[in-house]
Amino acid sequence: MAVEQIDQTGGRSVAVEKTHQRTHRAMGTGFTLYVDCADESQAQSCFQSVFEEIDRVETTFSRFRPASEISRINREAADGPMVTDPEVFQLLATAMEVSRKSCGVFDITVGRLTQAWGFHAGRPAIADAAVLAEAEAAVGWELVALDPAWRTVEFLRPGVEIDAGGIAKGHAVDCALEVLRTAGIHGLLDAGSSSIAASDDMFGNKWTVGIASPEDRTRELCRVRIGRRALSTSGTREQSFTHAGRVYSHLIDPTAHGQNRNNELEVLQATVLAPTSMLADALSTAMFLLGPERGGKALKEFPECAVLWVCRGSEGIRWLAEQWPNDGMA
Amino acid sequence: MDRREFMQMTGAGLGAVALMGVRGCNSPQAVAPSDWVNVGVIGVGSRGQHMMSMLLRIPGVRITALSDVYEPRIAEGRKVTGEQTTAYSDYRKMLDAKDIDAVMVSTPLGLHAEHVSAALDSGRAVYGEKSMGRTLEDCNLIRDTAKRTGKIYQVGLQYTYAPWYQEAAQRIQAGKIGQVREIHSYWHRNNNWRRPVPAGSGPELERLLNWRLYRQWSGGLLAELGSHQITFANEIYGSTPESVMASGGVDFWKDGREIEDNVHAILRYPGGQTLQASYITTNRLDGAQERIFGTGGSVVLTHTEATYYKEPWYPNSAIPPEITIEHKLITGPTYSAEQPYHGKGDTPKKGSASDADLLALKEFIDCIRTHRKPVADENLGWNQAVTVALCNQALAEGRKITLKEFLEPAKS
Repeated sequence: MAVEQIDQTGGRSVAVEKTHQRTHRAMGTGFTLYVDCADESQAQSCFQSVFEEIDRVETTFSRFRPASEISRINREAADGPMVTDPEVFQLLATAMEVSRKSCGVFDITVGRLTQAWGFHAGRPAIADAAVLAEAEAAVGWELVALDPAWRTVEFLRPGVEIDAGGIAKGHAVDCALEVLRTAGIHGLLDAGSSSIAASDDMFGNKWTVGIASPEDRTRELCRVRIGRRALSTSGTREQSFTHAGRVYSHLIDPTAHGQNRNNELEVLQATVLAPTSMLADALSTAMFLLGPERGGKALKEFPECAVLWVCRGSEGIRWLAEQWPNDGMA
Repeated sequence: MDRREFMQMTGAGLGAVALMGVRGCNSPQAVAPSDWVNVGVIGVGSRGQHMMSMLLRIPGVRITALSDVYEPRIAEGRKVTGEQTTAYSDYRKMLDAKDIDAVMVSTPLGLHAEHVSAALDSGRAVYGEKSMGRTLEDCNLIRDTAKRTGKIYQVGLQYTYAPWYQEAAQRIQAGKIGQVREIHSYWHRNNNWRRPVPAGSGPELERLLNWRLYRQWSGGLLAELGSHQITFANEIYGSTPESVMASGGVDFWKDGREIEDNVHAILRYPGGQTLQASYITTNRLDGAQERIFGTGGSVVLTHTEATYYKEPWYPNSAIPPEITIEHKLITGPTYSAEQPYHGKGDTPKKGSASDADLLALKEFIDCIRTHRKPVADENLGWNQAVTVALCNQALAEGRKITLKEFLEPAKS
């Protein structure tokens, strides 16, 4: 995604003097913050506070850090219900809601499969059948039991592991923007491919977000005006490999058991507009995996969200939109 | 007699027996109703919110009240608790509430003495963020109030409960790295330590949100960053230092702050050992670490792990003979006596998979339930905080000061 400022009439303009920009590496991606500040000193304080908040979210949700809450849950939740804090519980509950409403294609337990296919190690390849079978037995969103009355999480089978990577980056954007709102600062945060959102309606309308072609990242397909919504794009371009003419992506549908669900229309990219970055992040993965036909039906469960698919069919590249708002295009 | 004492006399295990069917010791359902702990929080800033999240990961803990003078913090705090937690702008009214068993104080350092002593006097157990107090008088008030009331006071020196710190202390005290003569502690960061303030805020709010930068409430880098490291040095040397010299100033971030942006202190202990402490805000190569140098080996401690190094044998070295035998004589042409050692150390995995804040708060809650005194009690907190206050006095006066003259200026 690429961002660009526009003036009040919607025309494009060069950067405003007061806008400051910095990028921070965290959660395996780059978080670029744009803030309107009176001076460099205030901007620096914003960068520090926002990036510290992103780091806090990473510290809580990273499965790579032994002391994180997700690591603690992965170590202990198979032993019985364990209490976690409301922030973590809410993220898990949102993940479960997206899983339930997306026929289980979005699944925070899918990490074992991603690992089996070699994506975690950065060496993707056809998975070993025995390893895959073992991993599949420990994958399934319904194996994670949440009890809101006690705020507990429990794994119903040993070997289950949570990987919040598909939703936590969006949550980090939400939390970071809240820091700006509290300080009364206007800003926009771009978490790479994961999600992009603004601190407020006014600032969101000041910017347009370019959606790149999945086949040529230098070419923009369209520009989107995000306003107060968050935007997230999921696609295969980042991590995938081809074997025997078939593309295998790091975005794995755990319900497909290795089969292609969208044979006639190859989904190249799915872009979602949602009220929060957390929801946009998770839902873009779900919509990518579901494709236009099943995704269109599932989207009825998310009336405040919209999706734009880019697909390749027999007639070439096609765009398909569902619930896309009239003010969504710049 | 309070509720907990009554339950202990009548058999606190009854509830637990009735709930034995619930799997998992991390489930709140397994906690007997009498063991639930209601916590009120004074100070709901970023540190307070972080610690609230940790408290809410402990089975059988509720946060029932919030108190802060800055109104936006209440909304942030309620977001952490996930409910409309009762809020007070005056902490004294919160302490009057009946539904509070324990209090967490996470206010600016200069307010600890007032808030902690009032909470202890109200009959509650108190978890007070570090340092214990800003001045000697503050520390004395908290220590004396804790002793007088007999209530549990745990100071927020969480690395006291970190397994890798505990193991390092045990190994060092067992002589595994020989005699420790020198500790170097760094907390090097590269930022201005400022928080953004809402646009249009006046100087009062700026001073409140950036309290760490102003003398009224702050103990500076030594208190906010150095406290954990000074605690460990005091533990390893078995004492508070006998004298301190310090240097520093507002030399880079000349933005109206009063607190030094770089501080360097040398603390000398009764056995002639030294702690060299360095806190800077303009480079982060060394990050936060403690390097403990023994005559037979070294330990490097960070926020996540401990790494052990053996001291290579060398003629006429200070390495104790028993260590030479245990280390099986590491020597050879690859070692040069005056070159820094860049080899790998030994980093045990055990215990590193833990959050020190969560461990410390679990201990606090367990102390309440079992009527135990915490390890990080008022004595440990006093030793650490008075050491920091001594360092700050040396920094302010620009001379070497002994602990004796700091504690008894009139006699000196």
